[in-house]
Amino acid sequence: MTPDHLVALLCPPLHNPRRRRGGNMAPEKSATVPQFLRGAELVKQGAEARVYRTQFLGRPTIVKERFSKRYRHVALDEKLTRRRTVQEVRSILRCRRAGIPAPAVYFVDYTSHCIFLEEILRSSTVRDHIASTQQSASCTVQELDRDQDRELVQEQELEQLAQQVGQILAKMHDEDVIHGDLTTSNMLLRRSPEDRGSDLVLIDFGLSYISALPEDKGVDLYVLEKAFLSTHPHTEALFQKLLKSYSASSKKSSAVLKKLDEVRLRGRKRSMVG
Amino acid sequence: MNLTQELELFPDHTVTQMLFKEVKNAAELRQSAVDGRINGALINPTMLVNPFQVLVAANKAVHLQLIGKMKTRSLNSEIIFNLSPTNNISEAFKRFGTSDGDESVMLVVVHCKNESQLLEDIAAQVDGRQVPVEDVSWLSDLAKIRKLFKVAPQEETCGTLLDAVVCRMAIKDVM
Repeated sequence: MTPDHLVALLCPPLHNPRRRRGGNMAPEKSATVPQFLRGAELVKQGAEARVYRTQFLGRPTIVKERFSKRYRHVALDEKLTRRRTVQEVRSILRCRRAGIPAPAVYFVDYTSHCIFLEEILRSSTVRDHIASTQQSASCTVQELDRDQDRELVQEQELEQLAQQVGQILAKMHDEDVIHGDLTTSNMLLRRSPEDRGSDLVLIDFGLSYISALPEDKGVDLYVLEKAFLSTHPHTEALFQKLLKSYSASSKKSSAVLKKLDEVRLRGRKRSMVG
Repeated sequence: MNLTQELELFPDHTVTQMLFKEVKNAAELRQSAVDGRINGALINPTMLVNPFQVLVAANKAVHLQLIGKMKTRSLNSEIIFNLSPTNNISEAFKRFGTSDGDESVMLVVVHCKNESQLLEDIAAQVDGRQVPVEDVSWLSDLAKIRKLFKVAPQEETCGTLLDAVVCRMAIKDVM
């Protein structure tokens, strides 16, 4: 037997086209949406999806396209991608129902796994906002008293923002929505048109799910803590403010924060398998 | 007075909306649409918040038609069905389609570009006064819409009623 034969024996081809029994498994693909996206502006490419900016029905729109991953078995890939697309739009609606700002969904194409979302205009990520506030604070650190005042104002402003984040996450967890990917990049700060402050909009519910378990909520906060402290150095006190406002606004916070302490000691995975 | 929008995803499909008030032949129009003599969807404008709602429904209908997954028998009936938050076809027709005694009608036609003659012919069958499509917001029965779509006041703190309605229309098949 040649080595090639051996390989063929040991590793049956995953993408054998004959294994795709047409009909129930492979839905017809419509090529129209991918073709349309070729003309759209690519905003970001992640591990799981590409995000485009475009006009849809005359409105500024963001399109999130989940692409297929060639290394996964076709059937599994289709199933996972579809489930995540569905889960994402479901969680968005659940949040909006509860009064938590999230982008409106305009259209979903389950054949090409694209979600068409309202573009949040006049917004920046919380990540950029914190970073730029911190930077402008450190620039002025050597100057005089007047600038110290400014620094104080900026610090207060960040604390207010942390409080706002804590409140909104408390509200989300009280609705049993677990975001699954809480980072400061997945929160947008939208300035209101009349400049009456700004509100927070949660985005990217691709890894979200519904659960009432304090464990899951604790892990959700743990993921945020890790992401928060690593993207924004020297913000331990700020994050404590966030947790404080979380516990003040959520009815079930004590169990969640207890779990968070547990998760900190052992890491995000409960079982050590896999 | 017509509102015309090309569907960006389907460039050879264009949607035109026309709004009529003081309509006297609603029953006759409805019958013509059922018989296929009017190639358009007749919608009850009191259930619309904004013309954008119709565009979302029409876009989805064309998409489902192209992939062969429509739930109803024609493109026009699919537009009406897509406006509804539920998956009940007859209820969708009852609430969002034109009823015999209606005095106002939103006429929606999906056509190719530059088919003004076709639009005129269809519009000519309506015995009523055409008004700008944007006026639809004066006709909307907001209380009824909020109730049917189950929109709680807290949801309107984070977005408009239109957003709430459009979200439910877009997601209804997986709820």
